[in-house]
Amino acid sequence: MKPRAEALVRLLAVQAAWTYERMSGIGVGHASAPLLRDLYAKSSPEERRAAVARSAEFFNSHPYLAGVAVGAVVRAERDGVPGAAIVRLRTALSGPLGALGDQLIWAGEVPVLIGLALAATPWLGAWTVLLVVVIHNVLRLWLTSWGLDVGLREGLGVGAALQRSWLPRAAARAQSAAAFAVGLAIPIVGWQVLAGASRQIVAGVIGCTILGVMLALGQQTRERVTGLRFGLGLLLLALIIVGGFR
Amino acid sequence: MTVLVIVGLIAWGVFVAVDLVTMPQGLFSRPLVAATVAGAITGNMTSGLVAGMVLELYALDVLPIGASRYPDYGPAAVAAGAASALVPQELVIGVAGLVGLPLAVIGGYTLHVHRRRNAMSVQRRLARVSAGDARAIWELQRNGLVRDAGRGLVLSVAGVIVALVMSALPWSEYPRATLLNWATAAGGLSAVLGGALRSGGHGARRLWLGAGLAVGLVVVLLQ
Repeated sequence: MKPRAEALVRLLAVQAAWTYERMSGIGVGHASAPLLRDLYAKSSPEERRAAVARSAEFFNSHPYLAGVAVGAVVRAERDGVPGAAIVRLRTALSGPLGALGDQLIWAGEVPVLIGLALAATPWLGAWTVLLVVVIHNVLRLWLTSWGLDVGLREGLGVGAALQRSWLPRAAARAQSAAAFAVGLAIPIVGWQVLAGASRQIVAGVIGCTILGVMLALGQQTRERVTGLRFGLGLLLLALIIVGGFR
Repeated sequence: MTVLVIVGLIAWGVFVAVDLVTMPQGLFSRPLVAATVAGAITGNMTSGLVAGMVLELYALDVLPIGASRYPDYGPAAVAAGAASALVPQELVIGVAGLVGLPLAVIGGYTLHVHRRRNAMSVQRRLARVSAGDARAIWELQRNGLVRDAGRGLVLSVAGVIVALVMSALPWSEYPRATLLNWATAAGGLSAVLGGALRSGGHGARRLWLGAGLAVGLVVVLLQ
């Protein structure tokens, strides 16, 4: 397998050895290894080992954008940039790549796809699941590949290149699209799950939902009463009633 | 449930658990996907799809960002999808919540333990990693993957056992069991709406959320 292709495959497992201390540093080192091996094929083992050690230090970013850092660091190594400057580059990339990726993917693309899938399920059924998986994985592979290429092309200038790219604009827009898609899904899923319920039940569910939302937004309660905890509390209450009226 | 179905569910559960963080992060661990496939393996894809839809309301409240601790809905949704496929149709939503939500909490805890074990593994090889030993880095990746698969295996086996217990319960003796449906639904709707309002801030995103809600309501009213 060619070094770039091998690095791409390894980027799919960039968080396999994720820890609180190094975050995805080990995974980035693992993904960089084929490119560094190729780059340092004719160099001394000491030079290669030093580059590998640098590549596996602390690193934190969104996993889909880790390829940007892998590419930029390998390009900087190729350009003969001093080791200390390469470490600084990695550190400088951590925050922006994490923030951009989280906005674009976790708070953007994923809720968009899931929200639209939930909204379309009454008409498309389980086909929505297949669509979500295919669309997401095509986008994910393309983004990882694009990131690696941008890094390899720009090296130390990758920060400025990212700023000029479509990424910051898309990240901002993706969150608005996510808000719309999730909003669209809520009444449709509510309609689906409450189908056939009596008016009293619907009123009860809406009342409990309003209570849960108020707790989720309240200054005193928002940290402690997550949606999951509220749901578990309601379930516990329901279990007590169900058991009591056996 | 046949042995083949049990093996299929466990294998799917392991894959789904590994997908969340380790690889390939391809959204297979989303409840909508994990539960629908689990329902199909068990023989009732529609029930699995409904279970996945309900659990997805809870999962949309979660941003799986870096070092934050969050529930693992993947293997939980596999168990919920399987259990939902095995219980009476009118209890699918409630059983999905009853099985999926506690398992998601346990799954989140196992993820934290897994990360601590990864850290111990790195600590043991720190000298080799710092010396640029690519073999040590590869070992850490491989061990992380195997450890996460082991985590998924434990969660999946537990999930299948819970699903089997749910299918064996005498539900007809509990006339008010449908209350579980409404509790799960209300919790999910409040989770997704509360989460969307919290992350929507005060600006344009809240307007987009409002627009989405309005369009969704119109769609429902037109049906």
